[in-house]
Amino acid sequence: MKEISELNLPEDLRYTKDHEWAKVEGDTVKVGISDYAQDQLGDIVFVEMPEVGDTFEAEDEFGTLESVKAVSELYIPISGEIVAVNGDLEDSPELLNQDPYSGWIVEVKPDNIDEINELLDKDAYLELLKAE
Amino acid sequence: MSMETKKTLLHKWHKEHGANMAAFGAYDMPLWYPKGAKGEHLAVINSAGIFDTSHMAVVIVDGAGARELLQRCVTKDLECCLGAKKTPLVEGRCVYGIILTPDAHVLDDCIVYQVTDAIYMVVVNAGMGAKVADHLLANASGLEVRVDDLTDQVGKIDVQGKDSARIVSKLLAAPGAVLEKMPYFSFKGWFGTGVGEGGVKLQDGTPILLSRTGYTGEFGFEIFVDPAKLVSLWKMLLEAGEEFSLEPCGLAARDSLRAGAVLPLSHQDIGDWPFAENPWSFAVAEKQEDGGFTKKFIGSEFLKNFQPSEFTLPFAGFDPRKMVVSEKSYVASSEGDKIGTILTCATDMAIGRVEGDIVSIGSSQEGFVPKGLSCGFVKVNQKLAEGTIIFLTDGKRKIKVEIRSDVRPDRTARRPIKEML
Repeated sequence: MKEISELNLPEDLRYTKDHEWAKVEGDTVKVGISDYAQDQLGDIVFVEMPEVGDTFEAEDEFGTLESVKAVSELYIPISGEIVAVNGDLEDSPELLNQDPYSGWIVEVKPDNIDEINELLDKDAYLELLKAE
Repeated sequence: MSMETKKTLLHKWHKEHGANMAAFGAYDMPLWYPKGAKGEHLAVINSAGIFDTSHMAVVIVDGAGARELLQRCVTKDLECCLGAKKTPLVEGRCVYGIILTPDAHVLDDCIVYQVTDAIYMVVVNAGMGAKVADHLLANASGLEVRVDDLTDQVGKIDVQGKDSARIVSKLLAAPGAVLEKMPYFSFKGWFGTGVGEGGVKLQDGTPILLSRTGYTGEFGFEIFVDPAKLVSLWKMLLEAGEEFSLEPCGLAARDSLRAGAVLPLSHQDIGDWPFAENPWSFAVAEKQEDGGFTKKFIGSEFLKNFQPSEFTLPFAGFDPRKMVVSEKSYVASSEGDKIGTILTCATDMAIGRVEGDIVSIGSSQEGFVPKGLSCGFVKVNQKLAEGTIIFLTDGKRKIKVEIRSDVRPDRTARRPIKEML
């Protein structure tokens, strides 16, 4: 398993305490899981995703990840409507292990983009990981 | 009992090579290495993998009464167990059996090796050496026999997968003679001195016990060795196996491979309930016309009259999704009734469905790319026919699976060794 110092945690992302990331791209937000999450879970073998058009409140469960180790819930970092899901994950869930940041899971049209500021930045997320 | 975490002698190697470690029984064991459990599982089907299984325990039963003691304590009838003709166990052969309590609950499962006329080796699960040794001794009244628990005193590495013999042969001093005529569930050599003179030696002179067994359903060996030689044997195997893409494998791959091979995990799929109405009746002495068994053993009287109300059955899903076994998880019928519990639910990553049928990457079907299927065992309150659809659920998620008699097709464990050299 990776040491905390070995984790890839890009500066331009926001993170949640449940190890999702969120990235603002124009007026939508892409959501995935962090390097820490994929490393902890091991090989991801299936991703259960919501439908385009589904709406969620921040911290709602929006899907599940099946890894060799466990089944983990995915929580949405920001309230809004799903405008896209990453169909590549249906055939290649391992993309989340290979590069958890190009391997996004859903794209959300946020109800209120300011909610993004309530998420952790890289330094705050690192502090959280050190405490785990 | 000490709660201290135990380590095998390969622990340092596992950590140095980036293994994701976790507690298994009392031992800190690798779940997977950086390759990942999926890659390791597939390596065992496509080429080969090695597993550190030194956490398992060896118990030696020695003396004129050794065979009689094992006849009392192990479900398999040692006088009636080999081949289609059910001939007696002989030197150089081993059998799988269960050690039961008088009410037929499972103390542990084991493999019994006949080393000589008077020496037997019983291999049991991690942490079970002392318990099994105590149980054997407690039932040895009137028998001339010695029981030695060799927990942590024997190193063990499993080499599993179709290239196993090609890899092991590179290390043996006399591979031709050793690997000739080595049927499934036979063994040669000894891991120490004194027994089995002229046995199996590595090129550097290290004596080993080489057993054509394993717990993956695939062709391969379990190698028993002096602990002092364990790490060097592990490294030699990895080096010899490099040209075959041999992978070190952790317990996650071991679990998914054995689940697909319909093999039980002791204390999970078999345990503190009567050993009956499950897929592993082959581990028990055969039944006779009067309902009794070909021999008496601890638990046989109970089983003779037992009316089971629970049935353990293998299942396979339709995609890789699995249900985590927890207090909330249960088995539901198509009508939604709660009918039982989930014992094991893993994902066999080497298989998938083609027009409904399960196909393995070992099935030589061109262009087949496995997505993996969930599989495992359920314990339900009714006998369900093969093909019955049930649902695994935790009240929130719901996974459709099918009752099966077998899961991963085209397994290699029983292939003649001459095809594998």
